[in-house]
Amino acid sequence: MEPREAEIDSLLRRSMAAPVPSLPPDFDQRLMRELRRSSQPLDRYRRILLTGYGLTSVVTSTVVMRGQGLDWGAISVMILGPLALVAAARWARRATYTTMGHGAKQT
Amino acid sequence: MDSDSQLVARAQSGDQQAFAELVRCYSALVFRLAVSILGREFIPEAEDVAQEVFLKVHHAIESFRGEAEFSSWIYRITFNQAVNLKARVRFRRPHADETVLYQAVSPGPGPDRQAETAQRDQALAECIQTLPEIYQSALRLYYWLGSGVGEVAELLGVPANTAKSYLHRARQLLHGMLKEKGYSCD
Repeated sequence: MEPREAEIDSLLRRSMAAPVPSLPPDFDQRLMRELRRSSQPLDRYRRILLTGYGLTSVVTSTVVMRGQGLDWGAISVMILGPLALVAAARWARRATYTTMGHGAKQT
Repeated sequence: MDSDSQLVARAQSGDQQAFAELVRCYSALVFRLAVSILGREFIPEAEDVAQEVFLKVHHAIESFRGEAEFSSWIYRITFNQAVNLKARVRFRRPHADETVLYQAVSPGPGPDRQAETAQRDQALAECIQTLPEIYQSALRLYYWLGSGVGEVAELLGVPANTAKSYLHRARQLLHGMLKEKGYSCD
């Protein structure tokens, strides 16, 4: 190490000396609790509610669009299109985690 | 003891014990990497990052195909998560003033000298903040958290020689910046 670098090395050692933090001892347990909570499947009541909401939306949208004179093809595209987009977004998100590259390093 | 790939395979088939074992193996390292990116003013946020990383890994582990090492994958998620969080919190008031931490560990010989040292340390901290994230992280891991070059390289996902060159380049840049601000390094 050249003298100039040795000086800054020594300064960094002095200046950055501070207590080293660590995770709380119960971090693992808290995390596993949180995981169990977040990965629980939707309970029966929430499933029924969500399904009801979805069906009502589809029926209402269909009736309104038919009322506007749209044909069944256009109605199908308008209803199935957003659903396909949501599925694609979910797939893309998963793929991102799998193939995270090293490109964003030097930020 | 199972290797990472065995633990990952078991976790992918829904074995929570295997996932808990992965958490036990990696939580401290993930936290160290997060802290090295966020800095000492945002230690609670680094803990949040560690938690978020494991939630994401749990969510996405089924899609992990093992093309890279599990460790590289989790460190990359941590790096991105911490850098994103840093962009959001950098203008927020820190939990602790850095100069308070310096004074706690290095009381100077006299008030003048102490003030001078504190000023220089403050200037140095500001200079570090202007370095690229990867240099900042390498410096904090090496000088603050006591990681060796090998660990710095592993956490940043680069070869050891690259980690060494990050440290070398960061020191050179800091030396120049401090000189420009009128501070000596001795």
